[in-house]
Amino acid sequence: MRLQSLEDILCKGDRVAVSNVTGREASAVSFVSQLYCDNIVGGWALGKAGRTIPIPKAHDIPVFGQFDVLMDDLPDDRKPNKIIVYSPPDAVYGDVKEVIAHGRNHVDTIFVITEHVSVEVTAKLRRLCDIEGFDILGCNTLGVINVHDKVRVGAVGGDSPEETFLPGSACLISNSGNMVNTMAGYLQSAGLGVSYGISTGKDSLILTPLKELLPLAERDPRTRLTVLYVEPGGTYEQEALELAAREGFTKPILVYVAGSFADDTGISLGHAGSVVEGPNTSAAAKMALFDDYFGVPVFDPAQEKETVAQLEQTRKGIRINTLHDLVPAAAALMTALGLKRDFTPKSPLVLKPWMINLGGLSRRLPSHLVLHAETIIEPYGSMLAKHTKSRLGRTPSRQAMRHTSHASSNDGATPRVYGWSLTNLMKRGSFVEAMLLYWLGRPVRHEFEVKLTEMSLIASLTNGPGTISAQGAKLAASAGNEPNTAMMATLGSIGSIHGGNGKKAARLLIDIFGGTEMVNPYDQQDAPDLDKLAHGYVSEFKKRKAASKEAGMDYERVPCLGHPVFNQEAVNYDPRERVIHEYLAEQGLYNVFLDFYHRLAQELMTQQATSKVHAVNVDAALTCVMMGIAWPLLVDKRLTVARALDLPFLTFAMGRVAGGAGEYLDHRESGTTMDMRVPVSECRFLGRSVD
Amino acid sequence: MGLKIGELGFLQELASRFGIPVPEFVVEPVPQSILKDRLEKWGGGIVKPDVLTGKRGKAGVIRTVDDYRVAVRLLKQVAATEVSGQQPRTAYLVQSVPADYEIFSAITYNSRLLSPSLTVSLEGGVDIESVPESKKVTIPAGIFRGLNAYEASEALSELGMEGQLNAKLARCLIRQWDMFISTGMLSCEINPWRVTKSGEIWACDFKATLDENNQKARDLGIKWPEYPTNETPFVEEMREWAAASYRGQAHVSDLGGRKILPLLFGGGASTIIVETLSQLGGDPIFLSDFGGNPPYDRMKQTAAICFQHHLAQAKLLLILGGKANNTRIDVTFAAIADALQEWVEEHGRISIPVVVGRGGPGLIQGFVHLQKVLDDLAMPYVFFGPDTPITMVAAYAAELVSVDLEPNGGDGQ
Repeated sequence: MRLQSLEDILCKGDRVAVSNVTGREASAVSFVSQLYCDNIVGGWALGKAGRTIPIPKAHDIPVFGQFDVLMDDLPDDRKPNKIIVYSPPDAVYGDVKEVIAHGRNHVDTIFVITEHVSVEVTAKLRRLCDIEGFDILGCNTLGVINVHDKVRVGAVGGDSPEETFLPGSACLISNSGNMVNTMAGYLQSAGLGVSYGISTGKDSLILTPLKELLPLAERDPRTRLTVLYVEPGGTYEQEALELAAREGFTKPILVYVAGSFADDTGISLGHAGSVVEGPNTSAAAKMALFDDYFGVPVFDPAQEKETVAQLEQTRKGIRINTLHDLVPAAAALMTALGLKRDFTPKSPLVLKPWMINLGGLSRRLPSHLVLHAETIIEPYGSMLAKHTKSRLGRTPSRQAMRHTSHASSNDGATPRVYGWSLTNLMKRGSFVEAMLLYWLGRPVRHEFEVKLTEMSLIASLTNGPGTISAQGAKLAASAGNEPNTAMMATLGSIGSIHGGNGKKAARLLIDIFGGTEMVNPYDQQDAPDLDKLAHGYVSEFKKRKAASKEAGMDYERVPCLGHPVFNQEAVNYDPRERVIHEYLAEQGLYNVFLDFYHRLAQELMTQQATSKVHAVNVDAALTCVMMGIAWPLLVDKRLTVARALDLPFLTFAMGRVAGGAGEYLDHRESGTTMDMRVPVSECRFLGRSVD
Repeated sequence: MGLKIGELGFLQELASRFGIPVPEFVVEPVPQSILKDRLEKWGGGIVKPDVLTGKRGKAGVIRTVDDYRVAVRLLKQVAATEVSGQQPRTAYLVQSVPADYEIFSAITYNSRLLSPSLTVSLEGGVDIESVPESKKVTIPAGIFRGLNAYEASEALSELGMEGQLNAKLARCLIRQWDMFISTGMLSCEINPWRVTKSGEIWACDFKATLDENNQKARDLGIKWPEYPTNETPFVEEMREWAAASYRGQAHVSDLGGRKILPLLFGGGASTIIVETLSQLGGDPIFLSDFGGNPPYDRMKQTAAICFQHHLAQAKLLLILGGKANNTRIDVTFAAIADALQEWVEEHGRISIPVVVGRGGPGLIQGFVHLQKVLDDLAMPYVFFGPDTPITMVAAYAAELVSVDLEPNGGDGQ
């Protein structure tokens, strides 16, 4: 072993190279590491030579095809002295041999992150490194962090190492990578920071075991105590404690030995090496070893004073029984040994629930179990607020859908739509009814919804030959295309501006009504205070409009209000919307969204945001119809918000494509060849000729 | 963490391949005439169950026999008798061989030496842990150089075995080493070698574990027999699923509990969580470790297997892990949420509380996704972030489940 100090494992100025650097995990971890400490000089991955992993505000990571090429190509002051191995299990041995063959005189330490490396290869790695004078940690280590130098290898600290690891005097050595982070977080509550966080890995053979690390911690000037997380399996702790006793180590140890529940059960814990085989390898045996070494019983929070008195005498450390006792045990140890805290303790370790909904269960629980949501620490609080804006809609499952569908099936005999036989739909229902089934995933609830959808489709058929979508069909006819091309041309000529306004209107309605408790959009009694909603919306709209105007920017209009033709009166109406409105009135039906839209148009005028009452146009009417159908499904979380938002545009597109087909048929029969071409004389060039 | 091989597998597949001397044997079902013939030739035999048990669990079932009619009966009887809760695959009759000495030898990877080592004792035939250390010798075997006859002989000399016997047995130990290293074993124990003063040697009981991560073990070209296990269908299904990919952990061990269904993340975290639950009466159904940044599909199926086997009976669903380093919380929680949703779609609603604690990349997206689904399913919940210790969350869950909650009914629907 070459290591003489913890600094030798990792310190500022070390240069790191990463094997299989383009792999899923290696590239993600390397990206964060580079942002944190910028210590990666390159990586290698077979067949990926010449690539670069770009890193904002730090060195990009160049990728080489082979390790020897990396060593040849990097200048001397960028050649790596630390290697992280992320190779697949069967490639680890070969990659380490490559590192040893080509990294002599430069590389001193190898960290094998890879899991599932065979024990034979693991033993060979250690022997090879012993012969060649390399240090090796792993396999299945998460990595190491030197907190004072702000450098790491591997994924210790996850995405935000500086959040978990504050500089301090505790050296963490753990069989579990995750526990390095967890214990570092706990220690903050005791006012203790971390000097080094070391994940040893817990395969059957630990390549740099505790007996080699503990002396380094003992000698490290920035370390005042060692905190251990220990699992069953192996005699590593026994050997380390024998050494500590023999050498008279002075720095205290805090230890948590996990896995006693699995003793004598034959249960295999998560790590490959956590297997009880032989004496002194069970959790209970390890607990006894530590207790004997410390000369004090396991920490009992209720006996803190007595523990401090005992620790003042023994001064070797103490074992804890549950991990959150780490904080009071550390405090007791610091008090007993007269050690100062590294910083003012952070917030105490208590239950801090972020989100709670116990529903009726809370009535059956004792009061101390009914928790209340605490303030969520930043940045999580702000992120959560952003994400929980709307609670409407279903969250669907995701899976590869190449030959999978919820919407349709065919067992060789019966084509089905969401499980409903197509032939039965043909016999029983209308096209619109079947179409709505296909779009919603379930049959509509009310007969009148079919009628209203049909009216919407008819309203969408046309707005005359001058509309962009009709022009699309006519252009296709004029060019001599087939009907399907003309229909595509129609669909290609509609978009977020022409026809897509309904999506914005649907978003507006979901945003406004999503904050209410409304369930049934057809029940006037269930409707919220629409005037209040309209008033609030218009007030905000006016503010946005004023701010935009002041900034000289265009402002976002209220979607689906106004019409270029029907705009001459003090109060304006779109006749197509009127048809839907009148149908509802005749049938004694109510649609809260349509009602709201009319009140909104009125409120805009009342608050002088507009000079007249704009028409609630056909797009708004169509949107209100579709949102009426969708709303109960959104509330019941049977429909996604995304799908609900698409329904108005789908309806318009469906109607308009049929209209486009009509324009095509007419134009093809009666038009002259190329009659849609604009004569050169009518075309204007707005630039300047340059040659 | 490896494929276990018993004596019969050794006798049938390995002994002759590596030239290790073994007694003759026949395997049930065996015609009466052959039994008669063998027992007459051998002078006696031993009926053993073909079962994989730890320690020396078979000892109570083994029967010596010299009458073929008794052998017929015993073979059937032993094949049908559970050993340490496990059903034998079959039974076999092995030749009785004489012994002046019973020797123990084991080759395993040694955590003290960080290399393979050979342990030998002349006090074989008993549980080796009961033999005093002074009666055992352990020597390292170079992982590259291997074990040589001189080293093996030295070990035997140290125990007091000299002369021709020493040389003959040393050669047998080298063959054991050859088998160990050539087949990618994790450990290999022969206990005992039966040895006569005249120099006859037989390997008379055997157990070994193959390292499933070792290419050699996978490429042996041997189809090992499947043993009836006392693994639950849940553990069996998860083990097969875990073996299907290295991407992300899917490790479970049944604990026989009845209350908390724990989806846990991180090898260390899962251990301390289950420990806390067990100490405080949380009665966890199983131990799990689903860390290692599993992709969506992997996590979803993992969760689906857990739900399929245990959700209907569970009193509380616990989704808990420390602050992840790599594992994407948004991906894993979306997968769990979707698996839960699909389970409910198939089996109907369930109103057990869900306790969640986690930290790591994509945390808020993961929390929001899961919360939405739980709201959708009307399941009560409490979410904790990384600022609450996982052991405290586990303690809270244990306390929550100790309250007499009406299962699968009541409010919140």
